[in-house]
Amino acid sequence: MARRIASSPTIGVAETSFSPLVVRGPSWDGRFTVLVLFLPPALLLFTLFVVLPIGEAGWYSAFNWNGFGRPTNWIGFDNYRFVFQTRAFWLALRNNGMIIVVSLAIQLPLALSLALMLAERFRGAVALRMLFFMPYILAEIATGLIFSFVYDGDYGLVASIWRTFGAEPPHLLASTDTAMLAVLIVIVWKYFGFHMMLFIAALQSLDKSLIEAARIDGATRSQTLRHVIIPLLYPTIRLSVFFAIIGSLQLFDLVMPLTRGGPADSSNTLVSFLYNNGISRMRVGYGSAIGVILFVICVTFAFTYKRWFMRDE
Amino acid sequence: MRLLGRLELAAAACLLWANAAAADTIVKWLHIEQDPSQVKVWEEVARAYEASHPGVKVEMQYLENEAYKAKLPTILQSKDRPNIIYSWAGGVLKAQIEADVLEDITDQVKGYSDSLTPAALAAFTSNGRIYGLPTAVSQVGFLCNKELMAKAKVDPAGIKSWDDLLAAVKTLKAAGVTPIVVGGADKWPLHFYWTYLAVRIGGKPAFDAALRGENGGFAGETFQKSGELFKQLVDLQPFQNGFLGFKNPQAVGYFADGNAAMTLAISTVYQSQRALAADKVGLSEEKMCWFDFPVVAGGKGAPSDTLGGITGWLITKNSPKEAVDFLKYFISKDVQTRLAAGNFIIPVVQGADAGFKSSFMKRIAANLAKSNYHQNFYDQSLGPSVGRVVNDVTAEIAGGSMSPKDAAQAIEAAWKQGN
Amino acid sequence: MSRAETTQTALDPALLFKVVFLAVVAVVVLVPLLATVLGGFKSLGELRVNPFGLPDHWEWQNYADILLSARYWQLLRNSLIISTLAVTLTLIVASMAAFTFAHVRFYGSSMLLSYLTLGLLFPAATAVLPLFIRVRDLGLLDTYLGVALPQVAFSLAMSVLLLRRFFKDIPYELLEAALVDGCSYIKFFRYVTLPLSRPILATVGTITFVNSWNAYLLPLVMLNTDALYPWPLGIMVYQGEYSSEWNLILTFITLTILPTIIFFLLAQKHIVAGLTSGAVKG
Repeated sequence: MARRIASSPTIGVAETSFSPLVVRGPSWDGRFTVLVLFLPPALLLFTLFVVLPIGEAGWYSAFNWNGFGRPTNWIGFDNYRFVFQTRAFWLALRNNGMIIVVSLAIQLPLALSLALMLAERFRGAVALRMLFFMPYILAEIATGLIFSFVYDGDYGLVASIWRTFGAEPPHLLASTDTAMLAVLIVIVWKYFGFHMMLFIAALQSLDKSLIEAARIDGATRSQTLRHVIIPLLYPTIRLSVFFAIIGSLQLFDLVMPLTRGGPADSSNTLVSFLYNNGISRMRVGYGSAIGVILFVICVTFAFTYKRWFMRDE
Repeated sequence: MRLLGRLELAAAACLLWANAAAADTIVKWLHIEQDPSQVKVWEEVARAYEASHPGVKVEMQYLENEAYKAKLPTILQSKDRPNIIYSWAGGVLKAQIEADVLEDITDQVKGYSDSLTPAALAAFTSNGRIYGLPTAVSQVGFLCNKELMAKAKVDPAGIKSWDDLLAAVKTLKAAGVTPIVVGGADKWPLHFYWTYLAVRIGGKPAFDAALRGENGGFAGETFQKSGELFKQLVDLQPFQNGFLGFKNPQAVGYFADGNAAMTLAISTVYQSQRALAADKVGLSEEKMCWFDFPVVAGGKGAPSDTLGGITGWLITKNSPKEAVDFLKYFISKDVQTRLAAGNFIIPVVQGADAGFKSSFMKRIAANLAKSNYHQNFYDQSLGPSVGRVVNDVTAEIAGGSMSPKDAAQAIEAAWKQGN
Repeated sequence: MSRAETTQTALDPALLFKVVFLAVVAVVVLVPLLATVLGGFKSLGELRVNPFGLPDHWEWQNYADILLSARYWQLLRNSLIISTLAVTLTLIVASMAAFTFAHVRFYGSSMLLSYLTLGLLFPAATAVLPLFIRVRDLGLLDTYLGVALPQVAFSLAMSVLLLRRFFKDIPYELLEAALVDGCSYIKFFRYVTLPLSRPILATVGTITFVNSWNAYLLPLVMLNTDALYPWPLGIMVYQGEYSSEWNLILTFITLTILPTIIFFLLAQKHIVAGLTSGAVKG
């Protein structure tokens, strides 16, 4: 998945001088020391803060528990039933779906076409790349706040445009009809640059001779694009789709400053739903059930995706 | 400039931290008061207490209302938790008591507690044990803007019934005035409508029956009907543009700036609107009017029944005894009289109402005195999770995404889930 | 690379379209950012009537007030402490593990590596409630470590994978020769692997830093005292307090994203390489 950063390992060695060492026992001892010293910290941290909590989420989800003391009120699968009975849960699921659809239908083509334009070298290309990448490095919280200003019905940019046309400015974030749409626009604004960079990186490492060959064979620009370049980009497109979906499933920070999932739960994502209904009410059982559902969705997705689309990698 | 004020506060807090090394007892006091003029009085009281009690430091911490409610469960679990926290009593308090995170202060307030209004103290008492001290009571009702009401020729004193209110909304709209402003994003300001309607329609018996699961519980007729009546109002589009995106402080500021004719608010807003106005002056006493929540034709509730808050302070588990001592000092007749004089509170210490200067405060106090049924805010009295569902569904009714019937059933379902 | 045809046909409609398209996107990206920066220089009244343009009257007070406030610096300091903790711990712990996976053959090696890779599959949010309970039981609630340790744990999977792949490129013969010379694995790690791996360490460090610097959910759940708040929490509190005073809020936003932007301009290469190498949520 990662691009390797080329470097030459030999240079450093020459610079490094070894002090004479005490002769050690057989090399197995050295390996043993490494195993005992180097591995446990990572495994311990990972187990303690990643694996065990997931397991505990499964355990806690069988309780009605407010987080104080120890869980005692066993209610079996009721929490899952409660979650599925909550309208807001299905809304959140729908919203996550919408984010994915918008990512694929709007953001990806946008990112790809910008990448095709900016992968070539011309004056300003690098500056534009950086500019388009800029939203991605901003914290989601800051982005959300900036756009809650942009959308503000009294002071915002949108309101001011509306007023110049003499219309009553809308409060986009305050209506159940438009809040999610407004959030989706921010998502595209924030993330298209990241996907663009993925494509640019891929385009730059493409085998140029294939493109040249197509040209020589008399293919037009668009034919080359459609039949040579895009197919060569498939792995990157798959990667981009993967990130879009994973990103959708964990989206939270952006939603909080914009709408907090409202109004009337219309713009919750699964994670903001988990926060609003599980964490901020300290319904540990209920919240854990949501977490487990999210976990199952993520893992199912990751495995399915890997099996179906990323076989060759 | 306000920022500079806060800076000094922060600096003071830092100093207090530094002083901790000097083995002072520190009382950490977490409050949610947004009105700087009231906070100023509190601080003076705290400093005075420190002066007369060497070795004790009172450290004030602030959290915004919504942030406080969302963070409270986690705050209570932290080792470094504050000693004194704000409370609206009710089911949330009950859950905290059950969770054993509060100090039982019954013995420490013996004798002193007689100075408090019994009804207010009762809200902080469970099975004969006292877990906190009340500090103020309040009533929910309509605050109105005299000028805007007059502009539309609506007489606030004439709004007696729900139908009167609907008519007034129509008249105001026709006159080009925004009838009502509400902080819909915080949801609880909307839940006042639904709850007060339930209080008017069913009275105390309906609420008690619902708690016992009788008459269909919260899915029963009373609660469905209050949703329906609320929907009548919502359908008139009485609220300011984008009301579901307004947080409560913004909404109060909107009223204080004179942009809307009415707001259904806690009586404390009468004073706190000033700080939230754009000009920090807000509406003066002469410019404001008040009318009680209208009655519903055929309703079983008495017109004198009130919805409002009984607010106070709790002591968290393992706090130093100085925390209680300071609280007794803070909720004394002197301080309460002073706060009453500043229009900040309807006091709970007997005799402190002598401090009242404004006729408005006297009127609210009189309303509360003659009320036989004072219903605490539903979102608090129903407990942390069910109460939030009440807020959720009233916002959904207001947003038009849920029917009154479904709303009532959602609350009943949450009540049955009990978590 | 340079296409001769683009310069030849200056009035090519395709080129025109390209220029217009790029310009529109650039404007859409820039305007909210510029309006934010400029908004801080306006009074509230002016912001309302003129949110786009340059301020008529430059209001320096907003910026000065915040820059001179202890609050602002405290937020940045807290963020810096948490992020530095997270980066340092991640680099140490992940590089040690990656080294082991890259150079030490032992029974169960691939199994343990797959175990760590599990961390790639789901976000921290899924287990945030149990995580909260765990951090509470460890007594780390309301401490910097209570935020940093889970962050490290969740960044381990990606970090170990990236580092291991890089470490593996260091020729095995080099290690063998060193071992024969009597150098221990640990010395080799310290004096050969790490110095050679600066680029990848920088990349992993950048990823972890940016993630930690911008994180909101974990600090939100783990911290209660506002004296410990990192800036994303602090700015939300600030916005809650000044709800409609957008000029102040915009100033605060500008000043809190400023470090990120400076960092970005200084370390573009690492950031782009790092972030597109697949670690960050995207």
